[in-house]
Amino acid sequence: MPKKFILAFILLTIPRLAAADSQWVLVESSLTYHVSHPLHQSEGVSHAAKGKGICHAGQCDFLIAVPVKSFDSGDSNRDLHMLQVARGGEFPMITVRTHLPEDASSLATIPVDLEVQFAGQTIQYKQIAFQHVTRGSDSLITGTIPLTLTDFKIDPPSLLALPVKNEIPVRVEMKWRAM
Amino acid sequence: MHLRAAKVAVALFILVLICFISISLHAQTSIPATTGSSPESSSLSGAIIGATGTGVANAKIAIKNLATGQSTETQTDSTGHYSLPNLAPGDYELAVSAEGYSTNTAKVSLAPGASKTADLTLAGALSLQDLGFSSDQAQGTAADQARLNKRSHMLMLHQRIGLIAAVPLIATVATSFGAGGRSTSTSDRYLHLALGSAAGDLYFTSAYFAIRAPSIPGTTRRGPIRVHRVLAWIHGPGMILTPILGAIAFDQKSKGERVHGIASAHGPVAIVTAAAYGAAILSVSLKF
Repeated sequence: MPKKFILAFILLTIPRLAAADSQWVLVESSLTYHVSHPLHQSEGVSHAAKGKGICHAGQCDFLIAVPVKSFDSGDSNRDLHMLQVARGGEFPMITVRTHLPEDASSLATIPVDLEVQFAGQTIQYKQIAFQHVTRGSDSLITGTIPLTLTDFKIDPPSLLALPVKNEIPVRVEMKWRAM
Repeated sequence: MHLRAAKVAVALFILVLICFISISLHAQTSIPATTGSSPESSSLSGAIIGATGTGVANAKIAIKNLATGQSTETQTDSTGHYSLPNLAPGDYELAVSAEGYSTNTAKVSLAPGASKTADLTLAGALSLQDLGFSSDQAQGTAADQARLNKRSHMLMLHQRIGLIAAVPLIATVATSFGAGGRSTSTSDRYLHLALGSAAGDLYFTSAYFAIRAPSIPGTTRRGPIRVHRVLAWIHGPGMILTPILGAIAFDQKSKGERVHGIASAHGPVAIVTAAAYGAAILSVSLKF
């Protein structure tokens, strides 16, 4: 008879556990933008992103945020110029929100719809493919977000009267940990 | 023995049934079916409830027919209610989003002529504070942006005027051969003086914009700008000293004397100044 109680307890408890909230935390990240100019290429890297994901009833909401001024191209003058053209004084954070089913963590390639807030604009990027590798308790995510200057109404900086290219792809490398 | 096995099987079946009911009760979506009024089309309505239990106004409801891929959208009213009439029977995916809330989705099956109710709860969205960013970090100000704009504008003027100043500066160096040495030409000396004065005026105008450009708190200097600033400590004093030594040399030449004493340093100081200035331009020229 006690065995039946144990069995009943287990069977009743499992679905509760499955539906309980779980969380993901961004433990390491590297975000790199790439700017192209006919005479010049440059990249800016930030390791200052913070992120969290909350899962409930099989659905997860993620928020990742990074300060605009945390990007370092190796030239503080260029970084301040980028901060100015990206209206980083008024809008100091870049945020990315996404919504995923919890079972997406089992996929090698995760197509993600992103909502990016940057320079006072909110833009949706649909079905961006991110590569996913599980390493121990961590999930490593890599991919590229195809940002453009016109999406965010940013005037392209110029050198010798030649503007930089409109495309500023952002390479994303993140390590998430389930808590 | 068989009777005992049958009892265990029935007990397990009941437990599984209880679990299934438990999952359904725990789910955020409740979709009770009611009888429809039209035999052909179906309808869906319900309420979108926030984490506090109140209706969420202006929530965006998108419903997608999973068979055809066709989507329809609507919004909740001020009390958080919505209604989607005239839907074809079939399986649908309902996605609800609202500012400040997490997105929620649910699957709904509509039988021909059925009117269903689907109430969904939206959890509060993650915020920057949840990530550990303070409100000061998360919010900028128009004043901060104005400071950045002013800085960029002043440095742009510094750059342009500085480049223009390079033209009379080069010309001043070029005319120095006629103005100094054994030459006694008065016109060459005056041309050299005029070009040097023009270069100096433009130089100090350019320097004004660099010195007065507002600094941005919390910024550390990295990269070529550090070289640019070090070189300014050479060409800056040089641009003050060169005309003083030049004036003494001019006076000596005007008296028919050979340039002598401290004035003889005018040429070397000018060369070092011009070289430092050229290097300063090059140190930051390949950037935007």
